[in-house]
Order: sequence, then structure tokens, then C-alpha cells
Amino acid sequence: MGHDTLTTVGDPAEPAGDRLARPLPAWLGRPGPTSWHRLNPLTKLTIAVVTSIQAVLLGGIVGPSMVLLLAVVLPAVRTGVGRQVIRTSLLLALPLAISASLVNLFFLPDAPTTLFELGPFRATEEGARFALEIVIRVVAIAGALTLFYITTRTSDLVVDLERRGMSPRLTFVVGSAVTMVPQMVDRASAIAAAQRARGLDTEGSPWRRMRGVLPLVGPTIMGALNEVEERTLALEARGFTRPGRRTLLWSPSDPAYERLVRWSLVLTIPVVVIVRAGGWGLP
Amino acid sequence: MTELRLEGLVHVYPDSGVRALDGIDLRIDTGERVALIGQNGSGKSTLARHLNGLLRPTEGLVLVDGQDARERTVASLAGDVAVCFQDPDRQVFSGTVAAEVDFGPRNLGWSADVRRTAVATALDAVGLAGDQRTNPYDLGDSRRKLLTIASVLAMGTPVVVLDEPTTGQDARGVARIGAIVRQLAAEGRTVVAISHDMTFVAEHFARVVVMRAGRIILDGSPADVFAEAAWPILASTFLEPPLAAVVGARLDLGSTPTPDAVVAALRARTA
Repeated sequence: MGHDTLTTVGDPAEPAGDRLARPLPAWLGRPGPTSWHRLNPLTKLTIAVVTSIQAVLLGGIVGPSMVLLLAVVLPAVRTGVGRQVIRTSLLLALPLAISASLVNLFFLPDAPTTLFELGPFRATEEGARFALEIVIRVVAIAGALTLFYITTRTSDLVVDLERRGMSPRLTFVVGSAVTMVPQMVDRASAIAAAQRARGLDTEGSPWRRMRGVLPLVGPTIMGALNEVEERTLALEARGFTRPGRRTLLWSPSDPAYERLVRWSLVLTIPVVVIVRAGGWGLP
Repeated sequence: MTELRLEGLVHVYPDSGVRALDGIDLRIDTGERVALIGQNGSGKSTLARHLNGLLRPTEGLVLVDGQDARERTVASLAGDVAVCFQDPDRQVFSGTVAAEVDFGPRNLGWSADVRRTAVATALDAVGLAGDQRTNPYDLGDSRRKLLTIASVLAMGTPVVVLDEPTTGQDARGVARIGAIVRQLAAEGRTVVAISHDMTFVAEHFARVVVMRAGRIILDGSPADVFAEAAWPILASTFLEPPLAAVVGARLDLGSTPTPDAVVAALRARTA
């Protein structure tokens, strides 16, 4: 390695002198591009969770549709991530939505009104309505979670949870779970590239592709295990298991009105429960 | 034999929109030893991945032996151009060293006898001849890296591309890889290497291609590329000339990219 450092100058983005002059790494505390991004991570998480719960609680078609529009579509479009949210949440929701629609459309019990018949199967109006209700709920939940995921940096969420007194072990688990998927995808594609470079045929017949899986699985799993071990060691070396509260160099801001927003949102849940229990509701 | 030609090659990564290659024209003849150098992110690895079809050009052409690389699968190009990647942990998968090296030749459909010889020869070249039955994960980082080089050598391709072959190697490992480069050249095979190790580049390569921001900014012999006049260009892509070149320039010996060149120039001056 000594050989390397002798002849190569470091990363151009980070000249040595500048590193000392700047007290914190550049990514830390960098504000998000929009005011939605800049909301406290817990606020965005609360919005996502309450949206999901309300989409189920409200029942009918109008209520969940309004929730979907107000809490998912509107912020997503205003934040400029509309297309991304639609694409991802439809991918998430589609399998469940399609199967639930088919089952209810044709097999909802006690549904007298026939829409049309397909061989032995009878599609009913009641079934269609119920299917629509389910699809809207599923899409609303998928959309709310996707919007949260896309507009929140994992590091911000982890830091914020830690500031609120959550155990570092727990926040670490949250953080690694969220970041693991893209890392695994990245690793798997690098491994696939290396094996294809050695003649592994991933473009041929299904049988050839099946045979090609083994050389990809091995290093993916070995690497993931290795990474866990190395990460544990690195954390340990930096005093991860040391008892006591950590001093945070930076954490996302959490103004009083956001706290108000969060509590109001949470309070809508018992309100709706009571209203629904009383027998009221939107169509 | 196999000649590589890149014409107006542009590559834009679809996910990030990064224009990693921005109009590359390069011709590498059979049997050349070419080093690709340049700062991190200058496009070296992206270029290498076009040579075996792993990446497809956004614009422009990649011609392997006069044939458009787009018309061939990666698996079939692997028989002509073998690319050895940087990180051993992202490719080694077999239970034994011999099986790992055998993977490429088997994909190429060679008979068992031919494969056995190829594996033995390749392992011999990297100094792992006695480790045929060892588990690759018992080898240690630097020898595992040599294993990946062996598994590419065994494929006997006319073109061998090495991405950062000397990373993590001690002097003996670097010397071994240098010997491999020379041996490949002696067999008339083309070697393209990406490296940040300027001393290694100056000693073992006949041609040095310097990249910056997806373009080629210098292309010549080590004596040309590491000559004092070119230092500002090297600095613009965060490279420094090898120590021998600096010494030579300070002593007014002309361009002396290697220690041998310094000695020769000094001898010539005192004679």
C-alpha cells in the first residue's frame, strides 16, 4: 500500500488542507432540497404511519382516497418525487392489489348484483366496490411508506432516534436494515459482473442461467457475513458498546410546531375510531 | 490476432446520469502493454468494462478484432478479453483454489486435460502452485488477489485486462505481477492495466494512457508521459510522476521514468 500513497495524491474532492479547516464532514447536517425533505425524520415517519392506519380505519372509498391525495400524492408532487413514488409504490402494491381485486370481484359472499359472467365465475358489483376499497388502501399504504423512504436519509433518522434516547444498538439495527438492501444489490451486481467476465453465461437458456446462480450466491453470502464481522469490529474499535449517552455533533432540527403536528396526527386515530364505532362514516 | 478499437465512445450511467466516458478514441494493437492511469472517477474502470461488453456504449463503438462488441454476448467476449476485477471478495466463490481458477476455462468449454494444464500454469505464474487444494478464504488478502489474476490468466485470452493488480501487494507481489505482464507480452498477448502505482506503470508498460473526466488527456511512452513538461497535465488529474522521473529531471538527465533509466542516463553523462 505504501507504494500507492507515495505516488498518488488523494481524492480531488477533498484537498488535505480543507479537511482541517472544515469542522464537520460535508454530508452531515446538509439540508434537504425541499421543506418536506427538511421535516424532522420522526414527523415524516409519523405521517407515513398515521396515513397507513387511517387508510384502513376510515373505510369506504372517499376517505382513503382523500388520505391518499392529501398525504401522499400532494406532498410527493410538490417535492418533485412524484414519478419515483408512483413507480415504486405501484410495484409494491400491484401484486397484492391484483390478487385481492380478483378474489373479491368474483368470490365476495352475499353479493347479489351481477356485473358480468366469465365462464363459471360471476363478477359482482359489491365485489367490485370492495376490491376498489382494498386497492386504494394498499396503494395509500405503499405510497406513504415509499414517500417516507425516498425523502428521508437513513442517517438522519438514526441520529434523530438516538437523540430521543433510543439505544444505539436498536438504532444500529434500524439503520442497517434500511441500508442493507441497496448494499446487497450493489454487491450482487458487482459479483455478477466479475463472473460474467469469466465467461458465465447469464444471457443464454434458462438451464444455463440456473447453473450460473451458484457462483453468485457464494460470495454474496460470504461477503455479507464478512461485512457484518468487520463492521462489528470497526464499531467496537470506536467505542460502540461503551455505556452512557452519546454526544451528537449534529441532529435534525425538531421545532415545536412539528411536535404539535405529530401529536395531532396521532390524535386523529382515536377520533376516527370513535366516529366509526358510532356508526358514522364517509361512503 | 485481437485488436481493440474504441471510436467516439461515450458512456452515461442511466441511474445517476454521470457521463463517465466523454468521447474516447483509442486503438490498442495486438501485444501492446498499456497502462490506464488517472484520478479516481476519471473513467478507467468504465472503459475497461466496455472491452468485454459488460457495459454497452451510450454512443460510439467498441470493436474487438474489428467486430462490434454489441453484437456479442459477454460470455462469448470473455474468450477474447478477460477482465480481472479489483475486489477478490466480490468474485471468489469456489471451495478450492484449483476449482476457482478452473471456472473460466470450464465456461469456455475446454476439455479436462487442457484445463488441468491451464490451471497449473496460471497458478505457477502467480506463485500459488502448492495451494491447489487450499480454500481461497484461507489465503489472506494479497494472495487471494493473486488468485483472481490466475483465474483470468488461465482463460488464455489474447487480451488480459487487470484492474488495480498491485493493490495490497508487497514488493514481491508487485514483482510477480510485473513478471506476469512481461510474460504475457512475450506470448504476444495484449495487457491493459488500470493502476495508481506509477512506479509499476513506468517499469512494466510500454504505453501509458492518462484519463481525466472521461477523456484521454495524454497517450505515450512512460518517457513521454512522465517527462517534466507533462507534469502539470498529470497534476490536473491528481497524479504524480514516479520518483525516478523527478530525480532525473532535477539532475537534468532528461526524462527517466525508471531507476534503470536514471542509472543509464548518469552513466552516459559520466562516460
